[in-house]
Amino acid sequence: MTKASPHILTQRLIAEGAFVLLLVIWWTGARGMPAFVLPGPEDVLKALSRFVTDPGTAYHAIVSFARVVVSVVVGMVLALALAAAVRAVPILEGIVERRILTFLNSFPSVGWAILGVVWFQISTPTVLFIQTAIVLPFCLINALAGFRQIDPELDELGRSLTRSPVRRFFKVTLPLVAPFLVAGLRVAYGIGWKISLVSELFGASSGIGYLLMRAQTVSDAATVFACCIVIVIIYGVTDHIFIKLLARRFSVNQGSQT
Amino acid sequence: MRLTANTLAHLFTLAMLLLWWGYSQIIPSYQLPGPWPVARRIAGFFTDPSDAAQLGLSLLHVTVAIGIAFVAGCVLAALAHYVWPLRMLIDNRLTPLLNAFSGIGWLFIAMLWFGLNGVTVVFAVTMILVPFTVINVRTGLQELNAELLELGRSLTRNKVRQTAKIIVPLLVPYLFAALRTSFGVSWKVVLTAELFGGNAGVGYLLNVARQEFDTETIFAIIFFILIFVAAAEIILFRPIQRRLDRRFARD
Repeated sequence: MTKASPHILTQRLIAEGAFVLLLVIWWTGARGMPAFVLPGPEDVLKALSRFVTDPGTAYHAIVSFARVVVSVVVGMVLALALAAAVRAVPILEGIVERRILTFLNSFPSVGWAILGVVWFQISTPTVLFIQTAIVLPFCLINALAGFRQIDPELDELGRSLTRSPVRRFFKVTLPLVAPFLVAGLRVAYGIGWKISLVSELFGASSGIGYLLMRAQTVSDAATVFACCIVIVIIYGVTDHIFIKLLARRFSVNQGSQT
Repeated sequence: MRLTANTLAHLFTLAMLLLWWGYSQIIPSYQLPGPWPVARRIAGFFTDPSDAAQLGLSLLHVTVAIGIAFVAGCVLAALAHYVWPLRMLIDNRLTPLLNAFSGIGWLFIAMLWFGLNGVTVVFAVTMILVPFTVINVRTGLQELNAELLELGRSLTRNKVRQTAKIIVPLLVPYLFAALRTSFGVSWKVVLTAELFGGNAGVGYLLNVARQEFDTETIFAIIFFILIFVAAAEIILFRPIQRRLDRRFARD
């Protein structure tokens, strides 16, 4: 059924053709519409270029990026600690898996955003709190799955080679869990960009979310579009470079038996 | 051991509720209302007709969005699988783009296009859900067991019969995964969508409560969604998943 290879060229032609066609439709469609409904490609491009040329705009993008990275890392460290605790004290499983995970997983993201602002004032730590709370369940699911699939025989081997639990954790456990952590990081990073920017809508005076909010209030559609495209670009490029590299280094097969 | 882990989990819930209650005694109620007033406010959602109507509207938004996203996702995945000229366009262009597009971005674009109403909410939630469905169904189509398809072809030449009797049943776990993910995600994002882009629904109530510093209602809405999503997961989705796992287990 899969007859992909001989038609790659046609497929590519259609894929690129559709993209060009879309641009043409956008361009012609935008001419007949007011700019606050559908800005033309050239307006959006101009707004987009401000992310490169205008240091003030670029600053917002960099701030958002840094926040997403920090909250994903913090979320992963917390998830790792919880999962490691479950492994060390198996009786905690009920608490972590059926209470904490269920709670975090069902908590609406905008709820964190509102509570964050009610509890703390508008600041970067507030944004980090909100974003970490949003990405934490995604990290936790993968960390728990990673610890669960550890081959007991390899664990046994580790115990017979060293009695130091710290050494064992870094030399045996962590490499075995790594593929799952990488998968979790990837999901969390995506959620960070796609969902948790909501934190910047209320809880911040900087970042792309703030920029979006400000553009919306003055009906600056070109900037709204540009913000969306910037998110796609930053997410797409960093996901491709950074996380795919990690994924190759810690592929699932590397850690498996034999 | 299983029993003790369970007991411990219940004790943990109890301890957390006590902690919440104790902390709410020393903290002003606009920052943290106690469990009791929040529970009463949640009950109010069902007894107060106007609140119940908002709840129903949110349910409607979510259901419509899941429905449209499911159909659109299935169509896109099937097109990518069966209409080869479109494969690269969907697999390598459209799906990654939809997947990378920010939910907030869709919401704000929808607000520009449709204004503050239900269409905006449904559009934004649908666009967020579509990539989840496409990815799940597409994976299912790629994982179709070739031998079973072969068997199907040898039993009947009727394409419709093959699809209905072999392909769709094989896809069930993936379709289910798509619906399960959609359900969880949609309830989380519908609040955001209604808060910014809607003029009705629970998210709209949340916005009003936020402006009036009515923390009790904020908590009530959050906990209502939390309980609702968790209950659906535990009562509905997990048992079905277990049955599917048993039925579709390979060796």
